[in-house]
Amino acid sequence: MMADTSTFWLRVTVLLYAFGLIQSLLSILGRKTNFYGLALAMFRVGVVLHGVAIVEAAMAHGQLQVENFYGTLNICAFLVALLFLLVDWKYRFASTSVALFPLVFLMTLVAQMERPVSTWSDERMRDAWLIVHIILVLAGYAALLLTAVSASFYLVQERRLKSKSTPSMLEKLPPLGTLDKVISSSMGFGFVFITLGVICGVLWAFVELGTSWLGNASITLSFITWGLCLLMIFMRVSAGWRGRKAAVMALVVLGCGAMTWIAHAGLRPVLMP
Amino acid sequence: MKFILTGLSHHTAPVEVRERLAFEEKSLPDALSRLTKRPGMVEGMILSTCNRVEVAVTAEGDADARESVENFLAEARSVEPAWVSPYLYHYNDQDAIRHMFRVASSLDSMVVGEPQILGQLKSAYSLAKEQGTLTGFLDQVVTRAFNVAKRIRTETEIGSSAVSVSYAAVELARDIFGNLKGKRVLLVGAGEMAEAAARHLSRAGVAEIYVTNRTRSRADLLAEEFGGQAIDYEGFSNMLPEIDIIIASSGAPHYILTTGSMREVMSRRRNRPMFLIDIAVPRNIEPAVNKMEGVFLYDIDDLGRVVKDNLQTRKNVAEQAEEIINEEVQRMLVRLKTREVAPTIVELQEHLEHVRSAEIERLRSKLGALSLQQEEAIEAITRGIVNKIAHAPITELRRKANDPEGIALMGTIRKLFRLGEN
Repeated sequence: MMADTSTFWLRVTVLLYAFGLIQSLLSILGRKTNFYGLALAMFRVGVVLHGVAIVEAAMAHGQLQVENFYGTLNICAFLVALLFLLVDWKYRFASTSVALFPLVFLMTLVAQMERPVSTWSDERMRDAWLIVHIILVLAGYAALLLTAVSASFYLVQERRLKSKSTPSMLEKLPPLGTLDKVISSSMGFGFVFITLGVICGVLWAFVELGTSWLGNASITLSFITWGLCLLMIFMRVSAGWRGRKAAVMALVVLGCGAMTWIAHAGLRPVLMP
Repeated sequence: MKFILTGLSHHTAPVEVRERLAFEEKSLPDALSRLTKRPGMVEGMILSTCNRVEVAVTAEGDADARESVENFLAEARSVEPAWVSPYLYHYNDQDAIRHMFRVASSLDSMVVGEPQILGQLKSAYSLAKEQGTLTGFLDQVVTRAFNVAKRIRTETEIGSSAVSVSYAAVELARDIFGNLKGKRVLLVGAGEMAEAAARHLSRAGVAEIYVTNRTRSRADLLAEEFGGQAIDYEGFSNMLPEIDIIIASSGAPHYILTTGSMREVMSRRRNRPMFLIDIAVPRNIEPAVNKMEGVFLYDIDDLGRVVKDNLQTRKNVAEQAEEIINEEVQRMLVRLKTREVAPTIVELQEHLEHVRSAEIERLRSKLGALSLQQEEAIEAITRGIVNKIAHAPITELRRKANDPEGIALMGTIRKLFRLGEN
């Protein structure tokens, strides 16, 4: 009974953390909102409920839940959230929220999936959900491809301007400022699509496969791609990564995305049995 | 009709001669009037810029138009004809058309591809039109020259790259930032070239220009000129993270911006690109700054090299433009030749009509009284005969108008029918 209450509070926490996720995605897309205050307040409430869920689970099992992946992920997410609140309280270091809100949300989302729900009520719903997941992820990869191409052009143009040479072919490249804007936009959209795609995929896998999907290498690769994408966004937003670093990072994320795609090619038979 | 172009330019005359021959703007109307009143002159136009003085005329009759224009120039500018003569060039007809097209297209300019010459030629044309000294042939050639210049600008990249150090700086800023709107510029020191670059940047729409100088009054003066803001020399480094473009031209004997200071600036502006233009000698900015990510440093020699490369590109493009000029000159000649045969055709028709009516008058007394119908029949028969005689030479003239043989044929017809003798 107490374990059920714990799962309930954890799911409420995920909903509260979702405000932070939305705030991050809007901020990455360059939308200026007054949403941060609300998102932070929800996040704080979320952390309290997160703590309640952990305590209840510990009381139900007579010990702190650290014996499986879900338990450790849950505690890890809680500690990250707590740490963020402490840093924000002491240093007003809000820019980290861009990375930490989505990270904590996704970790908590996965952590509350230890107890599977009943299966799909409708087969069409199941397929549509999967298609939405695939389309979102592919849209994300397309945006990342644009990021990588623009970042490569940025490198070439930067090199030309640094070397002070004027070869005619390279003069046709767009100005650095324009390329930088394209990189920011495409990176932002790429991250938003991939994040939504991963959330869709996680929820689909949760209903479809229960808990057996976690050990799957291709899904682990998806999380790694998402994590790298998150890191890229964070370094761009907080440290102003441009030029060479941004280009290399974009190419790494794109490469990782391509490998994830290849690893997931086995999804076709699931759609068309 | 002869078309003659006489003049001097930076190719043939040093500046001491050019400035002596240049016309003041206010003296041009009177000069045009005196030019076209000279014997044999039909039309005239004077182009006077700092790099060239050219007089284009159309003349008729046997008058020596070339000598007349030379004398005109000497008289108008109060110099001896023998003194100016060695510096002058002369072009006739086809060569004059080609030269006019080349001048309009800026192929003959000191800086090939510069756009000012077309504006100057348009002013000279407008003045000549106002004064009524452009009435036909020359008008057509100059108007065509404007179109040729426009075509060359559209079809080639003759004017696409910067060929002055100050403008090259602006072009580079565009390569870095794209749109310059919203960018902030800081002038450290107030050299002439820095001023010119700032003026270009101001025209390109930068958001704010700050000026700092050891002498505050000089900074105030410059800031006022650009509608900018003067800031204290001692405190300008605090502003650097907000600045996108720095033009350094101070007389400081040491580096005022080093890699150390720029590292901090770049960190504070989160690596957003920064364009540094160092036109001071000795240099104001440590060269190693260019190795930092997001920092683009150009000194006076770098800008000079960009200009040199661009000039070479323009020279290459100029060859392409010369081909267009050749094509346009041929097209113009064809049009002019078509115009040339028209008076001969009209004269031939008038001549034959004159013969016909004279013969009818001569025979009228022998024919006696004629009824109206008989009069009309004779008119119709004789007109028919004249038209049939004229048909072959007129058709042939029109057909050969665009052909080199056309001029010979026109001469033959004029001779055969004794046209122009009365």
